[in-house]
Amino acid sequence: MQNAKDTFYITLRTRLATVNPSRTMTLRAVTRPGILVQEAEAPMPQPLLDAFALSWTGLETDLQLSAILAQMTCEIQYSTAGTQTNAGLDRGRALEEMDYEVLKLLYPYSAQKMNYTQNPAVPMETMVFWSEPEFGPIVTLRDRLTRAAKVIVFAYQEQGEQ
Amino acid sequence: MADLSTQNPCGLAQRVATALLRASGGTTACLQMPPLAGDSTNAGQLGLDAPGFLSLPLSPAVFRKARVSIQGAQLPKYELLISADAVAAQVTQLQLGSAQTLFFMASGVVVAGKLFLIEALSTSESQGAVYLYRLLLQEACGEWPM
Repeated sequence: MQNAKDTFYITLRTRLATVNPSRTMTLRAVTRPGILVQEAEAPMPQPLLDAFALSWTGLETDLQLSAILAQMTCEIQYSTAGTQTNAGLDRGRALEEMDYEVLKLLYPYSAQKMNYTQNPAVPMETMVFWSEPEFGPIVTLRDRLTRAAKVIVFAYQEQGEQ
Repeated sequence: MADLSTQNPCGLAQRVATALLRASGGTTACLQMPPLAGDSTNAGQLGLDAPGFLSLPLSPAVFRKARVSIQGAQLPKYELLISADAVAAQVTQLQLGSAQTLFFMASGVVVAGKLFLIEALSTSESQGAVYLYRLLLQEACGEWPM
């Protein structure tokens, strides 16, 4: 299941670099596309603004098939306070832009599963699939707008995969 | 209306704060900083590689339990008072724009071999210059030795 989670993140990160190359962040002294896996970074008291944070929540498995099918819930959280140039009054527009980017990042809804524990990464035999996003309501905290989009990620557990 | 009276900051507040922290049992706190050349590989972003944090000492500092009510199922909070002189020295050495950047980059603070997460930062100023930084810390769950 970890390979599916890794593949999902790397796929979205690669697509973000194409969809909006200017959406970058500097984290742990590295400037990279503005998307991160929360469980692979240091805890933050406040979410990073203008970046996408993936957190893995639910897990269900279907054991009735020839290979175990894992259904993992991924929440993509993003916050913005608009831009300094517009004194934050464009925060609604900035959030809408991020909503649209989420849609573009997720399509197409599949990718070849990769094993990133090896270098270079090794393609595996199955694909990772995911659902269309289910957008949650906007949460307003003072000048900050936050939304979470929920995606169900499906992957078969391959032989010998941990 | 602007205050046009002449004020000449002489660093008195900074020196008093440093002396007070040292006299109050000043200790050393170490910021956990990312390595200067970050890990830009996939493994570094997937939690596979060790982050290789650097330990950045700040002293004098005073560490004490914060005066906040502790609620159920929450780890206790602490506060760390750090001399502005110590912070300024590290900001200059790392060629950073501000102390806020320094604390933003840090993934935590180690005091007496225990890791704490930074919850909030506030400052005390005199004549427009910071003389004391106050970090609100929360105990990290990890019990590994630092």
